[in-house]
Amino acid sequence: MDDIDAMFSDLLGEMDLLTQSLGVETLPPEPPSSSSKEMNFSMGFADMNVESLNELEENDLDALMADLMADLNDTEEKLGGQKEAEAPHTDLPPASHGFSFYPESSLSTPTSPERGPNTFSAPLADSPAPILSPPTLPQHAKLSMEEIEAQMKADKIKLALEKLKEAKVKKLVVKVVMHDGSSKTLMVDERQTVRDVLDNLFEKTHCDCNVDWSLSETNPELQLERGFEEHENLVDPLSAWTRDSENKVLFQERPDKYEVFKNPQNFYLWKKDKKTIKDMKDRDKELLVEENFCGTSIIVPDLEGVLYLREDGKKSWKQRLFLLRASGIYYVPKGKSKTSRDLVCFVQFDNVNVYYGKEFKNKYKAPTDFCFVLKHPQIQKESQYIKYLCCDDAWTMNLWVTGIRIAKYGKSLYENYKTSMKKAAITTAWTNRTAGTTSIPSTPSPTTKAKASGQANGHAPQPPAEPVAKVGNAPPPPPPMLPTQILPPPPPDPVLPPPPPPLANKKSPPATSVPRQLPSLPTSFPPSPTSMANLPPPPPSLSQDDSSESPPDFLPPPPPTLGFGPGAGSLPPPPPVSFLPPPPPDPGFPLPPPPPDPAFCPVTNRDSLPAPPPRQSNIGAGAPPPPPPPPSASAGLQSTPSVRRTGPPPPKRTTPPLAAPGGGDFMSELAKAMAKKRGNQ
Amino acid sequence: MGQNSHSPVLMAVWDLSVTVEDLGADAPPITVSVTSDLHIGGVILKLVEKSQVKRDWSDHALWWEQKQQWLLRTAWTLEKCGIQADAGLIFMAQHKSLRLGLPNGLTLRLRACFSGPVFRTVLGICKMLNIRRPEELSLLRPVEEKKRKKDKDLSEELHDLTEVPLTSVSRPCLYNGMPAHFADSLQTEKVYKMLSVSQPAPAPEAIAKLYRPASVVDKAHIHSRWLDSSRSLMQQGVQQNDRLWLRFKYYCFHDLEPKYDVVRLTQMYEQARWAILLEDIDCTEEEMLLFGAIQYHINKLSLTEPQTMTSSPAMDDLDSALQGLEVKLDGAESSPQDMLENLTAPELNDYLKIFRPKRLTLKGYKQYWFKFKDASISYYKSKEESLGEPIQQINLKGCEAAPDVNVAGQKFCIKLLIPAPEGMNEVYLRCENEEQYSRWMAACRLASKGKSLADRLFQSEVQSILSFLAMQQTNPNTHTDDSMSINTHSLVSPRYSKKYKVKQLTPRILEAYQNVAQLSLTDALLRFLQIWQALPDFGISFVVVRFKGSRKDEVLGIAPNRLIRIDLGVGDVVKTWRYNNMRQWNVNWDIRQVAIEFDGNVNMAFSCVTADCKIVHEFIGGYIFMSTRSREQSDTLNEELFHKLTGGHEAL
Repeated sequence: MDDIDAMFSDLLGEMDLLTQSLGVETLPPEPPSSSSKEMNFSMGFADMNVESLNELEENDLDALMADLMADLNDTEEKLGGQKEAEAPHTDLPPASHGFSFYPESSLSTPTSPERGPNTFSAPLADSPAPILSPPTLPQHAKLSMEEIEAQMKADKIKLALEKLKEAKVKKLVVKVVMHDGSSKTLMVDERQTVRDVLDNLFEKTHCDCNVDWSLSETNPELQLERGFEEHENLVDPLSAWTRDSENKVLFQERPDKYEVFKNPQNFYLWKKDKKTIKDMKDRDKELLVEENFCGTSIIVPDLEGVLYLREDGKKSWKQRLFLLRASGIYYVPKGKSKTSRDLVCFVQFDNVNVYYGKEFKNKYKAPTDFCFVLKHPQIQKESQYIKYLCCDDAWTMNLWVTGIRIAKYGKSLYENYKTSMKKAAITTAWTNRTAGTTSIPSTPSPTTKAKASGQANGHAPQPPAEPVAKVGNAPPPPPPMLPTQILPPPPPDPVLPPPPPPLANKKSPPATSVPRQLPSLPTSFPPSPTSMANLPPPPPSLSQDDSSESPPDFLPPPPPTLGFGPGAGSLPPPPPVSFLPPPPPDPGFPLPPPPPDPAFCPVTNRDSLPAPPPRQSNIGAGAPPPPPPPPSASAGLQSTPSVRRTGPPPPKRTTPPLAAPGGGDFMSELAKAMAKKRGNQ
Repeated sequence: MGQNSHSPVLMAVWDLSVTVEDLGADAPPITVSVTSDLHIGGVILKLVEKSQVKRDWSDHALWWEQKQQWLLRTAWTLEKCGIQADAGLIFMAQHKSLRLGLPNGLTLRLRACFSGPVFRTVLGICKMLNIRRPEELSLLRPVEEKKRKKDKDLSEELHDLTEVPLTSVSRPCLYNGMPAHFADSLQTEKVYKMLSVSQPAPAPEAIAKLYRPASVVDKAHIHSRWLDSSRSLMQQGVQQNDRLWLRFKYYCFHDLEPKYDVVRLTQMYEQARWAILLEDIDCTEEEMLLFGAIQYHINKLSLTEPQTMTSSPAMDDLDSALQGLEVKLDGAESSPQDMLENLTAPELNDYLKIFRPKRLTLKGYKQYWFKFKDASISYYKSKEESLGEPIQQINLKGCEAAPDVNVAGQKFCIKLLIPAPEGMNEVYLRCENEEQYSRWMAACRLASKGKSLADRLFQSEVQSILSFLAMQQTNPNTHTDDSMSINTHSLVSPRYSKKYKVKQLTPRILEAYQNVAQLSLTDALLRFLQIWQALPDFGISFVVVRFKGSRKDEVLGIAPNRLIRIDLGVGDVVKTWRYNNMRQWNVNWDIRQVAIEFDGNVNMAFSCVTADCKIVHEFIGGYIFMSTRSREQSDTLNEELFHKLTGGHEAL
């Protein structure tokens, strides 16, 4: 119960802050939550919570919008004149429209009446100047004061909107059943992938982090089980559960999860004799994986075989010859050959997931217990829309389920595997390393905390310097990012754990290993360098940001810890500096150290919305700050020093800025391009 | 000198008569006086002097007609070459014009090398056409066509590249978005466009008339037509102005980079498209419909934005900036503007009719006032009551929205399958007309993907639905050139044209289309190729063979990574062997037998029935060669290794 209480106080604190930031006097969300304290911890509660929060925002938003629209016209007019002078914008109507849209001043007021304009403008004024990325500078130099002002206003509005958006992020309280039967309770927000949650759990359980660890859902009513894929957002499937659901989330090792990458021959050469498969050389296995997952197209194992199909509505099971293709499962109609054109489509994978069936022999009179099921994730009860298939043996079942996953998820599956491998390798290296010295959790947390406070105090000047340098390096790789990204082989050779990318790199050699977020980031990244200029531009790609951003929430430990842990011990690095380029954010992004001002960032930060400085210190000591409560809550659970709780928040704080670069930069980039083009002509 | 001293007899001067092709067929041969130790270069020199024609002879060489070989080593003496007075030599250009059938079905006239090994000839052609990785392509003799030669000839004249000076063929330098040698004239620019932009959909009748392999044996026969890449065109009996096909032969496409591979990608797509339309590769009905949908999309995009893939340096940055914009707009949540729009999401309001078959009441369609907002539909008794509580609200996220439309019958229904914990709920919405239908359908589709009406995709979705409805109205027999009214029969193979009427086919293609409608041209091309590559039969070239010890013909399938033994009668795969288990392989040229040894003492041997064993040898060796190409490797092509692996010792 302790942890639950802790979590509640988190929750309440969060809501509190949230409402304040929205300028709402009353605190509607509180009653429901407190009353539900007595309730069993369940999805139902989480939903309620979320709903009430949303409701509140909705009302507010309406009012907000009205104001916004009123001011809009004014500003637009004002800006109209200035814009003409500035060619790039006028050239591109859509762009300029987007621009003029925000330059309202009023927004900031409604959003945060208490400290609206002041707090806002202060950080913003700072940010444009020092943080401006080099490329954009010239352009800005040309802008008149008015324009800068307008721009700032625009930024503010974007920011406020972003904040609102963030506030709407859906969160669920999830109880995860551990392999030993105990359970842990986490808060998961809708942007977190299963990978993020796994990392979080690794952190809490000190398990060996091998690639088999997975989260899965069980549905006792249908007797189904499915391992989540790591790129899925955990909240999505959980939202499909009914209120009275007895479904559970399990944290366990599933050897079948990535078996296809460890022993691809079992799937791709299943027709061959047992001996050939068993004697497969490692090199040949690698080749197989390469052949099937690294080409222009993912190759699905060509499965075919007789399976039992449960007849719709009837209780009988009927044999049919099924074939797996990339486009779906087909069967051979009676009296036809198995040439492609005669095949009848049984199911396509767009709208269904594949589940293992448990003990169907009993439940449905299946010929064997080796059954799998295809159904829409929303379906939770018996229905004619669920397709039941039964195999002769466990092996065949595994073959089909894996084959279907390959067909459905394609490349993501392989990417997930590579990420897991990296993670596992890093963790192993790290555990080996620290085993002798100190316990993992204790070392990192203090460091993180130090950094956190350092940042909180607004080390605006320092960060900019670093980032700028960074910016210089960053821009070049805009075009074909993805391919390069993919290159880094799964087994990272990092002898050392991943250090915080940017700074740590300079300081310590271990930098070689790339933090795992790297791959995802770049995609959204290209524009970022210039983007610094307009901080606010929120998450152009929310999801991507998330992927890069959320890990930090939960694993403040891995990256920072690893990077700093050892180093910190011997020579305490200047906390602020080392921290600012928040390790988690990763090399690409760190630039936007816009979180210089604590007052400012909290605002953007969905969780820590309100957190005005004074308050914050409070929070730091007492209830962990808003950010992803889960880590902190659980931290408490594990009786880790309270310091540790502060760990998560800091990286968090840096995230909003991270997101920021994405959006605004586009304008300047476009402008540059236009200028260049004109030059060329 | 040494020769002179001890065999003075050889010094005897004799006459060698040589036909100079350029002087015309009727001109008498030119006779030059030579000695046996005169080298070929000397002969040519004398010949040119004697012809008294002043021109650039540098491309010319001697062809020994009787022996069917070129005398390209100018330092060799006549004696060493074995040439005597009776040798009928012809002095001719090494580069001659060739009519080249491209994967897109059009014919190009260009100058190709007739003297080097075909491998190098293909290299030259690809360089001119700006196709990277030329080792994946080769030349084959075309399947004879029946009659209808006239219109073919016409189209050939349109695509003439013979004027392009060979020396100016330079790949890397781009001018105006195309290789410099294409930018010389309007005519060549047009040729480049033909190469780099996919062709409009062919008329269904045209598809039906083309040759289609009916069986695996037919397919095997096509592969007997490949030219030997180690010998020259002249040696293989190809004459000036003959017709050959240029095709991708090895189905492992290395290092595909849309930015540099505009022509390659387009032609690859064309080859894949035709392989599917002509049933050269089998696919299921669902796959065929998806292929049809992507073709439709590509056709449409090619007409409206044909130049998107080419880019001049000046445009590059702008392009990337614009792409950045797209990306940004894509993530609906991203910009504040989007957020604003999302917060003030537009709505649809209309009287529609609803029918829920699951309800036991068999009342049929009933009219209500419908409101579409935020990915869900609510309905009310009437417009007046729409401020109150709806009768029901349906959240469409994750639903399936399928058309149930009959334009002729003026039936415009949307079939919704809405997931719920208890299963899928079926709901039909009936609209009054096309216009209403297209808006509500577009909204349902977006909602099913969790997007709102504010999404910028809404309008384009509405448009594409309207254009598809328009297709159903046009008479399939009148084929106008309006891009929107493509006959869907031209998007599928004749089998499906026969099986389905246009009005049956169109909605199904429309259904598949919704999943690809937002792809860019390049992405659509790539998607098409990906699905093609994911087909189980992809990349398998068939040859009829007879295995050692077997008494019947069987089929050998040669795939990029394995050999497949297929039963000719049933079509079942009997056995597969992977190349990476291959120890060695030999060709016994006397008995035309290929013998292969695999790891673990597995041996197999076969003689070839439909194709020469050199062709099979080249296929296997070629694939092994292709697998040696690595990512890091530079662009240099190891020609020698290719010939070694493919038994092309003649070329070395």
